Amino acid sequence: MQPLVDARVLRPTQMALALELVTEMDLLRLKTIARLHARGLPPDTGWEDLLQEALTRVLTGARRIPERIAPVAFIAGIMRSLRSEHWRRAGGARARHAASDHRVYRTRELALRDTAPDPERSLIATEELEAIERLFADDSIALRIIDALGEGLSAEQIRTTLGLSKTDYDSARKRMRRCLLREGLTCGPK
Amino acid sequence: MRTKVTPLFPETALERILEALERELVAATDEEILEAAHDLGMKPEMQGSAAFLGLRYPGVPRREEFFDPQWIARVLNDPRRIWLASRSLPPGPEAPRAPAAHRSRARPAGRRPRPPKEPRGS
Repeated sequence: MQPLVDARVLRPTQMALALELVTEMDLLRLKTIARLHARGLPPDTGWEDLLQEALTRVLTGARRIPERIAPVAFIAGIMRSLRSEHWRRAGGARARHAASDHRVYRTRELALRDTAPDPERSLIATEELEAIERLFADDSIALRIIDALGEGLSAEQIRTTLGLSKTDYDSARKRMRRCLLREGLTCGPK
Repeated sequence: MRTKVTPLFPETALERILEALERELVAATDEEILEAAHDLGMKPEMQGSAAFLGLRYPGVPRREEFFDPQWIARVLNDPRRIWLASRSLPPGPEAPRAPAAHRSRARPAGRRPRPPKEPRGS
């Protein structure tokens, strides 16, 4: 039986490693970021797809890394934009489907003006927010930081609002990083 | 003057949180990554470590790589297929019948202890 993946051809991650675009530790770092961004995406789009696609775009020259930006940060940004791209396309497809269902003529302007949140996306986002909160369930400070991050507060604002010293805030961030890394390095699905 | 209230949609909150957590992971040091891997029993410094599954080595295959998810959902939810699948099951040992809920218990006729007969002619 023919294997689905041709093992004789280097994968984008292996290619990036061979070209010294990233180190082995960078790959692990990117894996945890990819797993983070794959949250809420459909089951046929896994973290591997996000990471391999992002690296493919860099390797083919579709996305060029600016000189001052670290490759890991840049590739992480591509994965974030791939995630947004997915939701944009899914939202567009759903809007077209709804318009054809109700036999309503929708002009391009009307479609653009429709800023109501997509209920399916809202539901998925709520579930993912709950999953993230479960991740930090044992750490009350981390949970409060997560809530504040969701409201769009900066690090200074969070410290002031929650009454945390710089040391407390930094140690909470370190605990959160460790938790995220542990969750991101597992071999389970997604 | 009324204060303008901006509603916070869950997707907006999620995007903000993911972006902030992404920054944290980008800033994670190599030592922190190794510590987390060791917590999971992985040894990334060794050849063939499980930490590199899906990176240097092919990852665990997913069901969605073989089948279209919509097709899977359609097949699993098709009542005709469920009926056919249940018909094709091999006959198994019959489960013991549960007693009927509303059936009254049969009276053990003739088994009721009768009072002893009195001796005649006494």
